[in-house]
Amino acid sequence: MKKDWLKIYLVSIFGYALIAFSVNAQTIVIKNATIYDGLNNSPFVGNILIDQNKIKKISTSNLQADLVIDASDKIVTPGFIATDTQIGIVEIGALSVTRDDSSNMYKIGFSIFNGFNPNSTLIPWNRSNGITSAITLPNNTSSPIGGLGSFFVLDSKLDVTGTSDMVMIGEFGGSSSKSRAEQFSMIEDLLVLASSLSKSDINSDLELSSLIDEWAISNAMDLHPRDLRALYKLVNENLPLIIKSHRASDLLKLIELKEKFNLNIVIMGAQEASLVAAKLAEHNIPLIFDPMNNIPESFDELASNIQMASKLEEAGIQMMFTVSRSHNYHLIRQGAGVAVANGLSYEAAIRSLTSTPAKVFGIEDRGVIESGKIADLIIWEADPLEPSSMPEYVFINGENIDLTTRSSRLRDRYTKKLDKPVIYRD
Amino acid sequence: MFMTNPIKITLCCTFLFFSSINVLQSKPFESTYQPLPAEKILITNASIYDGDGNEFKNTDVLVQDGKIIAIGEDLPVPEDFTIIDATGKWVTPGIIDIHSHMGVYPAPGVRTSSDGNEATSPVTADVWAEHSMWVQDPQYALALTGGVTAFHVLPGSANLIGGRGVTVKNLQRTTINSMKFPDAPHSLKMACGENPKRVYGNRGQAPSTRMGNAAGYRKSWIQAEGYLRKLTEYEEKSAEAKELEYAPRRDLEMETLAGVLKGEILVHNHCYRADEMATMIDIAKEFNYKITAFHHGVEAYKIADLLADNGICGALWADWWGFKHEAYDMVQANIAIVDQARNGTGCAIVHSDDAIGIQHLNQEASKSLAAGRRAGFDISEARAMKWITSNPAKAAGIYDQTGSLQVGKNADIVVWSKNPFSVYALAEKVFIDGAMAYNRGTDLLPASDFDIGIISPTKNRTQE
Repeated sequence: MKKDWLKIYLVSIFGYALIAFSVNAQTIVIKNATIYDGLNNSPFVGNILIDQNKIKKISTSNLQADLVIDASDKIVTPGFIATDTQIGIVEIGALSVTRDDSSNMYKIGFSIFNGFNPNSTLIPWNRSNGITSAITLPNNTSSPIGGLGSFFVLDSKLDVTGTSDMVMIGEFGGSSSKSRAEQFSMIEDLLVLASSLSKSDINSDLELSSLIDEWAISNAMDLHPRDLRALYKLVNENLPLIIKSHRASDLLKLIELKEKFNLNIVIMGAQEASLVAAKLAEHNIPLIFDPMNNIPESFDELASNIQMASKLEEAGIQMMFTVSRSHNYHLIRQGAGVAVANGLSYEAAIRSLTSTPAKVFGIEDRGVIESGKIADLIIWEADPLEPSSMPEYVFINGENIDLTTRSSRLRDRYTKKLDKPVIYRD
Repeated sequence: MFMTNPIKITLCCTFLFFSSINVLQSKPFESTYQPLPAEKILITNASIYDGDGNEFKNTDVLVQDGKIIAIGEDLPVPEDFTIIDATGKWVTPGIIDIHSHMGVYPAPGVRTSSDGNEATSPVTADVWAEHSMWVQDPQYALALTGGVTAFHVLPGSANLIGGRGVTVKNLQRTTINSMKFPDAPHSLKMACGENPKRVYGNRGQAPSTRMGNAAGYRKSWIQAEGYLRKLTEYEEKSAEAKELEYAPRRDLEMETLAGVLKGEILVHNHCYRADEMATMIDIAKEFNYKITAFHHGVEAYKIADLLADNGICGALWADWWGFKHEAYDMVQANIAIVDQARNGTGCAIVHSDDAIGIQHLNQEASKSLAAGRRAGFDISEARAMKWITSNPAKAAGIYDQTGSLQVGKNADIVVWSKNPFSVYALAEKVFIDGAMAYNRGTDLLPASDFDIGIISPTKNRTQE
């Protein structure tokens, strides 16, 4: 009897020590992992040492650490980066009171950064499915270019980690209200105005206000100094412009704009990109698209094709993926899997979820497994491109993240402890 | 000899007489579907999910005259049969989608062919989805490349009672009647929740609340009961009495609703929330009709036992959520929980409601299966295959003809490059009624008129 008590006592002491130890673990080694590093390397088996928030070392020889996680026969990838989301600014699509994605006031300089909700349920959900960081984009405004997106690390910290206003969005193509020819002229006029702005102009609201009155386009569009500052960044600071466009001829017009104004253009949607793949590659334009979307959803998207990703890979285009529906941004994994089934190489698919967005959007410290980079890592239970597989471990900023979600809590509530009334279950 | 002849003649003429009556009063819009010319095929050495929950290895399937005529190991090779070596490949029944809007919301998604919601009155039981369907929708062929051999098209969910749905073969034809699945019953689309109350509430008319929704269904069923009573009373009258009065005047709305009360039309009910599904079950009991399936049912897992007890299928997504409040409580194991209710007597269906999703229902089933296993359920892949084959076939009322690989059933068959529960599996060959409708890597891919010469005059849309 006494012995049993002692046993329990010792076990619990030991258990607490272990928990305390793992919480305070200074260093972690992921052992024997099959590593897809997000770079151009073939997968290799190795050990990854995480120290604080960084990847300290990657080695094939044994590494010591406070906590060792055996990842034998498991794939480890960088945390996936979703590039086209509304995470943190839309909780429920049809409920405008939960949406912070649009502005009536600002047409070009509208920033969603200050509306971001780090407690959104979309964050644990997408994170538990392998998305560790995301670019959140506003809705398109009434201007053909305008609205600023921000980058967020999905760590749920109220003290938000991210980069504000690191991308502008735009749209060019078939529309019920404007000829695309008019849209093109408007973009041109705005860019000519942007090119005329000087550093001293943008530091003075008064100066910008008088410029707005002077220029016909800004006057007609009723712009605000914020809008002009965003335009300045676009033309002078290489701010990426994610512009939604599909029709082959429109994509060529965007190449023209890129060259004329030296823009950092990323084309989104791009359903007819395979018709102009060589040109897009020649001008080094990355694409964001849904590899599962082969629907000719509009007259701009007639060439939609399930083999697009493999054709773009052949042409040497950098690609990233999006999904056609909201909330489940992690389904870019399924899209990548479908692209591989239809001819894309596996390594290119992994890059499209990791190093390509990091490179294209200047997220320099994430998206690859390399010593010195921030430790956003996933240990997968199986092939990450199979939508049926889930992460076993998710590390963000070197922290082992709890994978509980509101969804998993609801599941357990209706499948476990059924003897209790629902409202008293966990 | 001579004696028997008059009887023969009488029989013959009686038959003619009735058939001429039938012509006069013939049901309009009957199926005129004709299959492609039947092939003689032997699929050999396949791994099989039969759609009824079984898995077979190294098994052959023999197809003739549009039907499956044998399934077994090492079947003798008959003469004149085309042999398809399925070594290393997987064979399943044709995939069936119980919730599609192809044709009524075709691609391109333009206003001029957006014909899925007759959103002018909350009850439009008189409209039929087949009268909206555009036969040249380029989406059918895309679904075919995902192994879909039949699908059920519903009106949208703007209305409490949206109209009749129709089940079609996934073989594009020039008229809708020639796509209609022979002997498939009609369905009735009903919708709970946010959509009807939003559409009509925004116009300041009923329903604007969920209680308004419930009152709306009940009022319609009361009308339908009255109509059916009048009809029955008339039909039970003697021939003499019938001559003295007109038959009750036809009413398209009431014909549909009475069809439900008579059990001839199957109710497919768009409903997300658990509490609303329970309310709808009460309404069905009040008026003595059966709900065949709840569609979308994001909260079906909360009442999985109730669904099983009432023999109602849950036609659900693997993981859609969050686009509206009633779709907020998503659980990825939803489909598995419905399937496993009451010792595995539940009826779960993976549906698409989407022209992309319909091409990958096998992957949607795979996600649901994995989530179910993670929730602790022991579910086989063979059982999960039912979610996209036999269960939707039952819910569409066509299980006697298709939905599983059984001798005597239609040879609606998919040959997959790999296990269809993998994202890398592609439907390589798709047979509808024993004829190859799609053969990956060849030019055997249907092209709608829309696809012809639209990018380049000399090519089809899907050709480069």
